[in-house]
Amino acid sequence: MFAALWHNIDYAAAVVLFCIGLYVVIAKDNLIKKFLGLNIMETAVFSFIVALGVVEGGDAPIMGPDARPPFTNPVPQALVLTGIVVAVSTTALALALIIRIYRQCGTIEADELREME
Amino acid sequence: MYDWPHWIIVAVFSPLLGAVLTPVVSLRDRRVAPWWALGAMTVSSFAASMLVIRVAKEGPFSYLPGGWERPYGIELRFDEFSASVAIICLIGWLALLYSWRYTECMHDMPKARIPYYYTLVLLNLGGMMGLVVTGDLFNVFVFLEILSLSGYALVAISGEHIAEMAAFKYLLMGAISSLLVLFAIAILFSITGSLNMADVTVILSKTTYTTPAALALAMLAIGFMVKAALFPVHIWLPDAHSIAPSPVSAILSGLVVKVGIIGMVRVYSIYNGANLLDLHVFNQVLVWLGALSIVMGAFFAIFQDDIKLMLAYSTISNIGYIVMGLGLSTNFSVIGGTVHVFNHALIKATLFFAAGALIYRTGFRTLTDLRGVGRVMPLTCIAISIGAISIVGIPPTAGFLCKWYIALGAFEAGQPFFGFALIFGALFIFIYYIRMVNAFYFQEPTRPEILELSEAPASMLFPTLLLAALCLVMGILGRIPLTFIEPAAARLLTPLGG
Repeated sequence: MFAALWHNIDYAAAVVLFCIGLYVVIAKDNLIKKFLGLNIMETAVFSFIVALGVVEGGDAPIMGPDARPPFTNPVPQALVLTGIVVAVSTTALALALIIRIYRQCGTIEADELREME
Repeated sequence: MYDWPHWIIVAVFSPLLGAVLTPVVSLRDRRVAPWWALGAMTVSSFAASMLVIRVAKEGPFSYLPGGWERPYGIELRFDEFSASVAIICLIGWLALLYSWRYTECMHDMPKARIPYYYTLVLLNLGGMMGLVVTGDLFNVFVFLEILSLSGYALVAISGEHIAEMAAFKYLLMGAISSLLVLFAIAILFSITGSLNMADVTVILSKTTYTTPAALALAMLAIGFMVKAALFPVHIWLPDAHSIAPSPVSAILSGLVVKVGIIGMVRVYSIYNGANLLDLHVFNQVLVWLGALSIVMGAFFAIFQDDIKLMLAYSTISNIGYIVMGLGLSTNFSVIGGTVHVFNHALIKATLFFAAGALIYRTGFRTLTDLRGVGRVMPLTCIAISIGAISIVGIPPTAGFLCKWYIALGAFEAGQPFFGFALIFGALFIFIYYIRMVNAFYFQEPTRPEILELSEAPASMLFPTLLLAALCLVMGILGRIPLTFIEPAAARLLTPLGG
């Protein structure tokens, strides 16, 4: 059990990070903190995907006269690149929304906003 | 003509390209924006109709962009479920036409922002088109994010009092669900080493990694349930759908939540095809959540005075019908459920368009304020009545056949209790729509100034009436979609090689 966990410590770390992020999103009242929690979740998923492609002792998969297997799997890194672009746009949109909420309501604490409704 | 292979690319990318170029072409004159958007959507609709003709004649087909063989390249796969591009195009096109006059009355939105509104609508439609035709898991995530992000922004765009809050709530839940979907896709990738859906299905059927596969299934299901606004995770929907501009509400409520369903259908076909897990428990959970959604959505809707809020809750209960149909997993119920995706889109778009026309003319949005409006806006109110009858499921209309099929499926599966839950839900729905029709036609106006108004402008009336007519036509010609989707439903329910 522990040996298996130790062997997959990178995956376990990603899951723990994901749960920490989820906790922050649910438990915190400040909208920016909520959003930071979401960013932590994103990072967790991205690190999980990157960890998938790791091959022990693997090289960058660049073909040439010196290229010698094993190679690291390049697909996950390509996926994460796309994922990061999505995450950045989500962050931009969320921060813009938070600014507009602050201008309209004068606060970004979720409990105070709920009272206003 | 219809078998030109590249129509599928044209259908997906003309709205996306049109979206990016909208602010550019309307730089000098922002009045160009709606016509440009309509043009882009017309091209896409034409391509989509070619695709639907082809799938009806030849059955499912694939397209490999760049000619890269699967599983190395991306595969676009067009099957009978993908034929929902037709309804996306239809409602998208009509919503764009409707927006032309509607955006003028959105006083809280600066006029300079109108081209961006069209950009977002086109992005949203393009994302949906992409999602329903893709055969690649990671593409699912990308298109899901395109349509979700544009959806969040569209909710906020009206600039009304709590619009930003509603959008933020939507964004928070939507982003979490997208991440769950991405995490699950990563797990599937780690098991199979492939992202192509057909390939994943084949490899999954040979593996022994049942626990990670089950975990991925659960995460995908929860992720798509949030997008579809099923009962326990529906809380973002009522605010978001009622505060958005009416044409956007029609798109969000008619189409965007259905994308969650289409996603669920795709997941279901992978897992049912692979036959790796016993899906019995999963199906039961879906059925129960569906039944709860039907009853709770209808129950909350009864207490709403705000017409758009009421329609938003009614969406939750209709999503319940569809999910229940999927969960019962008999031939009848799956056909009924997937056709209800199509019919509910028609009905809910009719209702939101009509409600939007009422709000545009009167400026009021509660049933109390809108009393007696049937006397001055007869055509709009006829459309809303047809929509109401259809959504309850009274026979000659679009809502009837699917609900009938789902109920038949419940009895076929030996779970008649859910058949009764369905009928009970329909009764609830009947109550609140009767309340609406009663207020419009038979009650004395609380606001006498309503009686001096006139009918909605033609560009808003035309989409509303066309969709209302389609609700009736689809009730009479209801067999066509049912027989069309039948082979796909049969394929969904049979495991690979079984």
